[in-house]
Amino acid sequence: MNNQFVFEKKQKTTLGIFMLVGVVCMILSYLMDDGTLHMRFWSNYLTNTVYFLGIAFIITFVLHAKVLMYSGWHVAFQRVWEAFSLFLIVGIILMIPIIAGIWGHFHHLYHWADKAAVASDVVLKGKSSFLNPVWYTAGTLIIVGVWYFFFAKRFRNLSVQEDKEFDPNYTLHKKIKVNAGVFLPIAAFTSAALIWLWIMSVDAHWYSTLYAWYATASWWVGSLALTILTLIYLKSKGYLDIVTTEHLHDLGKYMFAFTIFWTYLWFSQYMLIWYANIGEETTYFHVRMRKFPVLFYGNLVLNFVLPFIILMRNDTKRKYGTLILTSIIVFVGHWFDFFQMVRPGTWLSEIEHANHAAHATHASHAAEHAAPVLSKWGYPEGFVNGVSIPGLLEIGILLGFVGLFFWFVFMQLEKASLVPKNNPYLEETEHHHVM
Amino acid sequence: MKTLNKEVLFGLYNDETELLSAIKQANDKHLEIMDVFTPFPVHGLDPLLGLKESRLHIAGFIYGATGTLIAFLFMTWVFVSDWPIIFGGKPFFAAPSFIPVTFEFTVLLSAIGMTVTFYTICGMGPGVVNPILDSRITDNKFCIAFDVTHGKENENDYRSFFTNTGASEVHSKNI
Repeated sequence: MNNQFVFEKKQKTTLGIFMLVGVVCMILSYLMDDGTLHMRFWSNYLTNTVYFLGIAFIITFVLHAKVLMYSGWHVAFQRVWEAFSLFLIVGIILMIPIIAGIWGHFHHLYHWADKAAVASDVVLKGKSSFLNPVWYTAGTLIIVGVWYFFFAKRFRNLSVQEDKEFDPNYTLHKKIKVNAGVFLPIAAFTSAALIWLWIMSVDAHWYSTLYAWYATASWWVGSLALTILTLIYLKSKGYLDIVTTEHLHDLGKYMFAFTIFWTYLWFSQYMLIWYANIGEETTYFHVRMRKFPVLFYGNLVLNFVLPFIILMRNDTKRKYGTLILTSIIVFVGHWFDFFQMVRPGTWLSEIEHANHAAHATHASHAAEHAAPVLSKWGYPEGFVNGVSIPGLLEIGILLGFVGLFFWFVFMQLEKASLVPKNNPYLEETEHHHVM
Repeated sequence: MKTLNKEVLFGLYNDETELLSAIKQANDKHLEIMDVFTPFPVHGLDPLLGLKESRLHIAGFIYGATGTLIAFLFMTWVFVSDWPIIFGGKPFFAAPSFIPVTFEFTVLLSAIGMTVTFYTICGMGPGVVNPILDSRITDNKFCIAFDVTHGKENENDYRSFFTNTGASEVHSKNI
């Protein structure tokens, strides 16, 4: 059994190329955008940062939840999840340009960050005690910082420390458990606040109480798909013999179950808004259904129809082929979901910004000038690359983030044994049987 | 009380690892096991006994799909053609509002269908009396039973098998 992961040169080259592609695509998207706000670049940057940061967060959450709930089966691949959870620190760094942009006004992702717009907008004024740069900055840095330094990092340290010496009282494991009890409620509330700040506030006027749940479910399903892909890759490299079909079957079941959970939340949010039929709320879906149909319906096909049909049978969760296929669909699907949450909103911000600029410069001829501006900055007609459908640049940027994520994860995997040594549940995970 | 007119010889084991290794030995010796009783589902028992994967889930899928169709089509027929009423300014064919009921009816039909099917297959139901070999097999004992109605000559083989594999008790019973 080979428990020491080696980050090979070939992997470094491949991931390096991924990151290079990502950087090139980001630069291209910055330059190619016909707007003045470089919105295509910024919304992609936000989408991917939030997606991967969220994956790291939800894995941290699940690791702690599993410890608290006496779960043992996941211990076989716990180190992979630990490595995922440490990505939080990279997430903080990736958020810094967005935070700086809010203060320096060099992007316009958030309409609420525009002081002039807020002053003339009753809705935004009402929300400004929460949607403001101070909250955004403090929320992001402090909350993600706490997640990382007090929980993800500490979990990892204690877990690695446990490898060194067998302790019949499992003192370190008990420490992790106490930590987990503290973390879960904190994580549950703070993550919702960050989701509101990071992505829901892109549609600054709109809000939904289900949104945080829905986005969290999206992270979780995406991270499960990523876990399955990572595990199968590591197994193909000859590592992690301890992870068997039984573990993958359970992960597959998780993915299937939470696919339905995600759909349940998606549908609940949609149906309640559709049924109540209040203009302020329906505009969100109206815009997406009419002007972004690929995003709206594609999201459902990728994240519900396909995984639901493919994973329904027992044996599709036990075979690598179908598992890999579904995991790729679901992983890209939930990235697509975040793209769908962010892009129409940033497009709207761009329209609002353009209108506002028109009003400000030609206050006296507002009526005259608003119309031409709107026609230039109307909603996309048909399929517009990078707006109503993700284009090649978007895929390239996603690849870049995948490269960055795995570079970091492989670096962490190298630092400790792939299988925890003195974990109290090691015996259980070795004999894990599903059927 | 209805009886099966069977003479059963059975041994009781104290835990499932003993049980599993005993079944392996019985398979090696080609002893025909009538049935195995455990207080809880034991992993790895089905393949050892040569039981095929249950088809209950296929039945469940069919019941569920039937429920989906019935609920959705019925509501569509009622609200679109039979008795169209405008609710909350929605069109007659207000598909999203049919979904929750469709979902619940799917779950209901598959749950009831599978329960009834399961009870029918197992011969359980109201008024049916199932003979039980020993009340402790629902509590803490694991039981292997052999049918000795027509094979009295094998009884010694079975008894020695039980002693060799560490059964804590051996009894015979007419059911």
